[in-house]
Amino acid sequence: MLDIKNLRVKLEDEDKIILDGLTLKVPRGEVHAIMGPNGSGKSTLGYALAGRGGYEVTGGSVTWNGDDLLAMEVSERAAAGVFLAFQYPMEIPGVATLTFLRTAMNSLKKARGAKELTTPEFLKVVTAKAKDLGIDKDMLKRPVNVGFSGGEKKRMEILQMTLLEPTLCVLDETDSGLDIDALRVVADGVNKLRGKDRAILVITHYQRLLDYIVPDKVHVLSAGKIQRTGGPELAHELEKSGYAEFTGKAA
Amino acid sequence: MTIAIIKTKAEQQLAAAFERVAASLPGASWVPAMRKAAMGAFVGAGLPHRRIEAWKYTDLRAQLKEAYAPATGKGATLDEKALAAALGPNLAKLPCNRLVFVDGVFVADSSGPTPDLGTDFHFLSIADTLGDPDFDWMTHAFEQTGETKNDPLLALNAAFVTDGVTIRIVEGATLAHPVHLIFLSSSAAPAASNTRNLIRIEKGAHATILESHIAVSGLARQNNSVTALHVCAGAKVQHLKLVAEGAEATHLGTWTADIEADATYNAFQMTESVALARHQLFVTFKGEGAAFNFNAAVLGRGKSHIDTTMVIDHAVPKCTSRELLKCVLDGEARGVFQGRVIVRPGAQKSDGKQMAKALLLSSNAEFDSKPELEIYADDVVCGHGSTVAEIDEDEVFYLCARGIPKRDARALLIEAFAAEAIDAIAHDGIRQALQARLNAWLAAGV
Ligand SMILES: Nc1ncnc2c1ncn2[C@@H]1O[C@H](COP(=O)(O)OP(=O)(O)O)[C@@H](O)[C@H]1O
Ligand SMILES: [Mg+2]
Repeated sequence: MLDIKNLRVKLEDEDKIILDGLTLKVPRGEVHAIMGPNGSGKSTLGYALAGRGGYEVTGGSVTWNGDDLLAMEVSERAAAGVFLAFQYPMEIPGVATLTFLRTAMNSLKKARGAKELTTPEFLKVVTAKAKDLGIDKDMLKRPVNVGFSGGEKKRMEILQMTLLEPTLCVLDETDSGLDIDALRVVADGVNKLRGKDRAILVITHYQRLLDYIVPDKVHVLSAGKIQRTGGPELAHELEKSGYAEFTGKAA
Repeated sequence: MTIAIIKTKAEQQLAAAFERVAASLPGASWVPAMRKAAMGAFVGAGLPHRRIEAWKYTDLRAQLKEAYAPATGKGATLDEKALAAALGPNLAKLPCNRLVFVDGVFVADSSGPTPDLGTDFHFLSIADTLGDPDFDWMTHAFEQTGETKNDPLLALNAAFVTDGVTIRIVEGATLAHPVHLIFLSSSAAPAASNTRNLIRIEKGAHATILESHIAVSGLARQNNSVTALHVCAGAKVQHLKLVAEGAEATHLGTWTADIEADATYNAFQMTESVALARHQLFVTFKGEGAAFNFNAAVLGRGKSHIDTTMVIDHAVPKCTSRELLKCVLDGEARGVFQGRVIVRPGAQKSDGKQMAKALLLSSNAEFDSKPELEIYADDVVCGHGSTVAEIDEDEVFYLCARGIPKRDARALLIEAFAAEAIDAIAHDGIRQALQARLNAWLAAGV
């Protein structure tokens, strides 16, 4: 289970407090959605889980299956099963996507005590999964995310997610920048990952994605806290009424 | 009025060393007088210092505290194990025409194999030919004219040169294997060596020539190495240099190249954290339609100081020059790039571009870049650029978030940065060998 208790996060360089006592539990086997207005701290939550620098945790705790995530280095969190699909994936000039994928997969295998992949094994699995996601072979030869369209970057995030076999998936606005066909492909990819040992946290601004990835629970994040929790119907309600109720509270 | 010039310790040591060894240096006939004149020119000007524009960032007078005694190289033998260790496994196994120099002297017994000798190329040791009446053309090779007129490194090298090689790549030949010139420093005592190579790529010939300047680990050395290239019409040469003589070494290296019509000169240099390196290139276009491409990877850590200074002389129309320097600097390392591009009157349609990029891994590292364009023709395209950056923490985070440990993530990003220069090497075996050396360098300390 992902267990977040009273999490407080501020910007390291500024006095700005972004998460202000956030509490959330996501049991294994479930898919939860986090919805909230722009600037409410959704991405910050993802970064705090993944361990991005610049975001200072000033209070609270985060455990995954009982392990203290906050005490781990970024790569250790990944080894523990954490995967964040970025809202804005970074471009890495000079590093070929295949090299990157192979280094990441083998680093994780090593950290998890599994056998590293041989080149043919690696190519086989990458080629198959890329095909499922409609990712062109040539894209894999290009530098990581460089010159990729918004949609291509998002597919690449999902490809990484399927290859790295995480147990805690956090998808940050994976729907933005996708047309309806791409959305289906990506949602299919995510749905295939649903399973009893895996927890999935879908961060989104719109309800659209949740028609394809139907969540067990929906949480509304605003003013640094979870303001309300409900079932999938809450997403539809928010689609109609908007977030005014919650932002109003903060104002 | 006479001006009293105060000689530095190193200058005094150099003058004294010349008195001591001149008589035992190779070469009869015109050679002793040439040496004496060169030494005279050097002593007159002294070691170059920062008030001389070309030495603005590398004050040799201040940095060369002491001049080591000339290596004798006499009776030098080769320790194959030490050589393989210094080259690294890939370079040691590179199929090539192997010529080995130990402490500045050609070691015939340890050289070879030379599979392409006699058919595609010929070579002779400089020590064997210097001053021989049959090789009088070599007098020209020691004349300093034009942009090299007052060059102190060439003068010192001419005064002290012990050996080196003349190479002729036969007209129209395509050399099947690279010529690998290995300069190994091995004497335990601090020593200086001076070598000179004269290479002629005849018309339409294709060749790859690699110089490896290496040392049995950690020796205090001062090596002054000169290679003069003549690339004849329509020839194509890839000329590479690895400088890895250790953290205690000073490497003073000069390449001169005359490039004739429609010839291509592809140059590459990789320098691994020596204490002090000064790389000079003097490139002159002699015929239209010629091209010069230069790529360099500079890897500095500790107190390493690595200077790359070049003069590209577009003396004739329609030639192209490209330079890309990638500099990785850690610790207190300092990198320097000075690129002077001259476009002579009438050299229309000249096309010259330079780019120098530094990646600073530490706040104490420093990079200085100084382009100079001297353009006396109007129909030309010339440009230059320079960037200094640090490792992008967002990129590191992204890689780490995918499970790559921070150290490996940084190494991957640095490798990607330096690879842009290394990727330009056309010869697969050499490119892979130098990539492996880059990875080893990174593994040793990032
Ligand atoms: N690195 C940063 N520098 C400055 N402000 C930031 C930074 N990260 C987040 N913020 C601010 O914190 C708030 C929450 O941002 P974010 O977590 O990206 O929200 P969301 O993903 O919900 O849109 C916003 O006001 C945003 O401007
Ligand atoms: Mg966001």
